[in-house]
This record gives sequence, C-alpha cells and structure tokens, in this order.
Amino acid sequence: MTRGKAGYWWYLLPGAVAFTAVVAVPFGTNLYLSLTKWSGIGDPRWIGFDNYTRLLHDDVFWTSFRNTAAMVIAMVVVPTLIGLVLSATLFDVIGRRFGPKTASFLRATFYLPQVLPVVVAGILWGWLLRPDGAVNAVGKAIGLGEHDWLGDPKTALPMVMLVMIWVQIGYPVVIFMAALQRVDPDLYEAAEIDGAGWFRRFQAITLPQIRPETFVITLTCTIAALKVFGPIWALTRGGPNHATTVPSYFAYNAFFNKLQVGYGAAVATALTLVIVAVSIGFLKLQGRTES
Amino acid sequence: MRFPRTMISAGAAIVSLALVLAGCGSSGGDDNDSSGDTGTGTLKLWHYESANGAMGKAWDKAIEVFKTEHPGVTVQFERKAFEQIQQNASMILASDQAPDLMEYNKGNATAGLLSSKGLLTDLSDEVAKRGWDKVLSPSLQTTARYDDKGVMGSGNWFGVPNYGEYVMVYYNKALFKQYGVAVPKTLDEMTAAMDTFVAKKVTPLGMAGAEYPAGQLYYQLALSKADRSFVDNYQLYKGSVDFKADPLKYGADTFRDWVQKGYISKQSASLKAEDMGTAFIAGKTPMIVSGSWWYGRFATEIKKFDWGTFLFPGNKLNAGSSGNLWVVPEQSKNKKLAYDFIDITMRPEIQTIMANNGGVPVKADLAKVTDPKNKELIANFDAITKADGLAFYPDWPVPGYYDVLVAGGQSLINGSKNPDQVLADLGKAYDQGVKEIKNG
Repeated sequence: MTRGKAGYWWYLLPGAVAFTAVVAVPFGTNLYLSLTKWSGIGDPRWIGFDNYTRLLHDDVFWTSFRNTAAMVIAMVVVPTLIGLVLSATLFDVIGRRFGPKTASFLRATFYLPQVLPVVVAGILWGWLLRPDGAVNAVGKAIGLGEHDWLGDPKTALPMVMLVMIWVQIGYPVVIFMAALQRVDPDLYEAAEIDGAGWFRRFQAITLPQIRPETFVITLTCTIAALKVFGPIWALTRGGPNHATTVPSYFAYNAFFNKLQVGYGAAVATALTLVIVAVSIGFLKLQGRTES
Repeated sequence: MRFPRTMISAGAAIVSLALVLAGCGSSGGDDNDSSGDTGTGTLKLWHYESANGAMGKAWDKAIEVFKTEHPGVTVQFERKAFEQIQQNASMILASDQAPDLMEYNKGNATAGLLSSKGLLTDLSDEVAKRGWDKVLSPSLQTTARYDDKGVMGSGNWFGVPNYGEYVMVYYNKALFKQYGVAVPKTLDEMTAAMDTFVAKKVTPLGMAGAEYPAGQLYYQLALSKADRSFVDNYQLYKGSVDFKADPLKYGADTFRDWVQKGYISKQSASLKAEDMGTAFIAGKTPMIVSGSWWYGRFATEIKKFDWGTFLFPGNKLNAGSSGNLWVVPEQSKNKKLAYDFIDITMRPEIQTIMANNGGVPVKADLAKVTDPKNKELIANFDAITKADGLAFYPDWPVPGYYDVLVAGGQSLINGSKNPDQVLADLGKAYDQGVKEIKNG
C-alpha cells in the first residue's frame, strides 16, 4: 500500500516543476524586489520593509483598495444576484413557455459582453460616456443636460462599476443555467404537487441545489475584481484624481511610469496576499457549508 | 483542487510583471567597437517616428545617403512603437541585443536615468569633433547633457537631438473671421478674444484633461509670469520652488478662472489629447494650445478651413525643447557607424526634408522651405531658441509627475479641488521626487 502510494509521487513532478518555475520563483523574486529600492536598471538596493511602511501611509494605496471593494460589488455581488434571477427566469419561465431554444438564445445575448475583449468593451463604453457621446445625446434629448461621466470624481467610479456589471452578467447566467439543468425535475414536480409557488421552489430547491456553482462564481469573480486592470486602463487610467485607481493599476503605474519597481512589487505582494486570504476564506466557507 | 490553481493563476499574473523586470540584471558589457573600418559591418538602427511624418521622411532619406556613403555596410532598420521603447529600453540596452543607434526620449526620467546607469555612450568627444554643439543652441543642448545623477542641463553629452518642438496656439482662421476676432498679441487680447467667443456660445479653447494638454496650458500660464531662474529651479533643481506663489499659483488660478469663465469646457476632464486634436481638425474649436507635433497632421488633414498658429501671447518662455535624442547604447558594436549616421541627419539637406514636411529642424536651409506656413513654424522656433525661451515641459522634473499633473488638471476642470489644493498636491509630489533624485 505504501509502495503503491509512493509510486504516484512521480506524477506530481511535472506540476511541481511548473509551479516552481511559473509561480514560486516569480513570487519569490517579487517578494525580494518589494524589499528593495530599484528603478528597473542596475542593482536593487536593499531597504527592508520601507516600501511596506510607505504603503501604509500612502492615501492612494488605501483609495485603491476602497475602489476594489466597489469593484467587488460591481463584478461579484450585483452580477451574481442579477444572474441568479435571470437564469432562474430563463430556465423556469421562458424555457417552459417559449421553449429551450428561446432561453438559449437569450442566454447567449447576456453572455455576449463576455466574448468581447475587456479593453474593447472599455473603449466602446468610453465612446458612449464621453461628453459628446451617445449617453449625453440621449440625456440632452430628454432634457437632462450633459455630464462628463468619466471626468467627474463623483460619477467616474459608478460608471466604471456599471460597465463591469454589464460585462459580468453573462458569466453567472451561463453557469447558473448549466447548474439548473442538472437539478432533478422530480424535485420541482413534487414541490408543485405540494403547492409550492415559484419563489418557494426557488428558495427551497434551486438555491441549495446550485450552491457549488454559486461558490465557484463568487470565488472566480472576486479574484477577477481584486486584480481588475483592463477596464480601468481603457476607461479612466485611474482618474480623475485617483477616483478609479485600483491596486493593479497602482502597481503598473509604479513599475512603468514612476520607475519605482520595488514599491510596485510591494503593492503586487500586498494584492497577492489579499487574493490568497480571500481565496482561503472562501474555500473554508465552502468546505464548511458542503460538509 | 480549485484553490491552488486559482491562486496560482492570480498570483502568476501579478508577479509575472515583476519577473520580466527582474530579468534585466546589471548593465555591464564591454565596449567592443568593431567599426574601426566604416567600409563594412552592420548598422542596427531603431526609431519610432511614423513613416509619413516629418522625421520619418527625413531619416528615411538619411538611411539612403548613409548606404551610398557606406556601400559595404548593411543597415538593419527597425521601426519601433514609442511605448515599446519607453517601457523596455533598460532591458534592451542592458542586453547584447541592443541596437547601435536608437531614438530615445529626452529628460531626467528617461535618457538621464539610463545615462546615470552607464547604459548610454558618452558622446562628448564625438560632439566636439563633429561640431554638433555648434549647431545646437544652449537650450537645445540642455536635454542632450546629463550629470552623473542623470539630471539634464550639465555634464557629458549622452544624446544628440536634430529637431525641436514647442507649444503654440493653433487657431481656426475661418472661425476667427466669422466672429470678428483678431489674432491676439497679448494675454489681455487673448482673454478678450475668448470673451467674444463665449458671448456667442462658442467654447474658445479646446482642452483634454485626461492627458498632457491641461498640464501644458497651466505651465504656459505660469511661464507668462516666470523667468529663466524659475525654469532652472523647477527643471534643474538649482533652487527651491514655491508652489504657493507665482508663477505656479498664477498658472493654476488662471486655469481655473478660464474654466469658470467658459473659456475651457467643464466637460473636458475625461477627454484625451486625440479628442482635442480631432475636434480642432473638425473645425469645432477656435483655438487649442498644444505642441508642434500636431503641425504635420493638421497640414495633411485640415482641408475645409484655413488655420494658422501664433506664439502664446506675451510669453517669453514657452513649453518646448529639443526633440527626442539619438543615443548610442554602451553595448553598441558599431559606434563609429552610429556617429556617421547622426552626422548625416544633422546635414541641411536632411533637415530641409524635415522642414518641408512640417517638422522643426535645428539647421534647415530656410531658402529651400517652400510652404510659408512651415517657414513661420521654424522661424517662431528659431526666435524662441535665440531668446533662450525653451522652458521644457511641466512633467519633466521627476519620474511619474505626468500622472500627478493630469490629476491636477482634471481637478481644476471638474472643480473637485481648488487651485491651492491642486498646487499642494503638485508640490508634495515634486518635493518627494526631487528628494529621491538627489539621494540617488
């Protein structure tokens, strides 16, 4: 038995080598750089935890994490809730009344923004939201006037959140609809015979049955929200006045624009630690719920 | 199983950036110039000017001339993207893949930084030998020379510019005529002209808060109250800079005042420079304050109305500098060929091609410049350089200052901060940056 188990360890070797090369070494290097002062040229100078001390006192760093919380709402909370309702409606109402083809077609339309490269989506929305864009044209036509949606710190972040909700909705819809297809129809039938209405069935059958998929969506979308970069770069470049700066853009800016590689590495390390902590928290919660 | 994989991909995405940067070790490298004989070998040349731009056309001709004069030499020319060079120069120059000659950005954070790390060849002897210093006025030399900390303005030559650039006012002659506005010669006349447009519900000045134009206008306004010692203090750290006083206070206060008076649209904080330029090309904007880099494009693309340029009214100092530099990487294997090529680009025949295509050469034969508008563009630049009037750009003093200026400009446009708050932000970032540069 022991000899048999030992034999399988060889199968883990390629994965271990790849992990070391692709994850462990780069992460170790990043960690090392975060403890140095380095412009990207010449030799890094060891400064200990100075970059982390500086981070703690950097208003922009804290702003970036506050903005990340907003991105979690826009990319996880709202799309998951809307996706849940949409998929249940498509599956249970549209699918039954108009047939599965109609439901599939509508599912595909919701998924369409996910097919677009996120930077392209960002540029498109940038056109719509610019001062002389379509959104203001409509606003003017109905007497609401004009607004610089992405140039006003009060509206820039909400607009980016709106774009991300639009981008994200299709993902939970597709996953939830696949999950709903594996729920035993007999459960719904039995509940209906017992007189349970749509909402009661949704609450008592649908939600518990699709819990594993809900965890997957929440975890993957949370990680995506924590490291979001593309839409910020395409829409606002972190502005106006850091109103939409997120940690990954903050790190990018430190690396490439300010040539503060050590400081950027410290931001990247902090972000990685947050992502790891959130992931562990989620998985523990999932394990506890499933058990 | 999901946990490690998810974590791995997320972590890898973040740290890979650092790994790429970590790959560039120390500079090192030996100086093995194999070009003692210019009759053979290869000249590896990179630049990032567009093929149909003034510099692109002039340098294409320079390559032809070089090939004629060096028949045994192969020219390996690669056109690069600006961002490609901007973000990877340090890695490229530290490797054995470096070209023999490269166009590179001027300034402390770019050419200065690389020179201080020993990645660029000291061209001082060659400059003196070939007389390039005689062609370039002192203000054009500023961006070519760097001290041992990489601060421009003194020290050895690490680059050679062969064109210039400066900020001016572009105006739509048709709109000026339509609204009965004369070309202003003073700042008061400029504001009077803008009042006329505002009274007719036309926003007089195009703006783009999300990129450089706002910072440049703020700087132009500040320069109207500045002298050379301010520029030396601000750009070359020769003395302290007070962000609570004029000229910078005047720049920020006046900028905000112009927004409030409707000279600049309050809706322009999110616009990019391209938006500002295309609005001018479309004939929607009476004026924009921007650089000579637009000139060739406007000449090509504006067909429906007449347009012109004038210097920012009343200013003796103007944002502007030499153009980007020819630099010779320390790792270059054919430095002599590189010097020969630079020399060709400095010749009047090549400079005149630049002039005839809307560029601002440093040594053109004006008699051979056919377009009167092009002549005016060059004459204005000559007047500025002769009066020692180039004041460089507001984002140059410290690395990463561009973003700080953009944030400040956006705040002045959307009114989220008052000028004093913006100046406090600008001052804080400036002081911190200068401190870091001085401490090495």
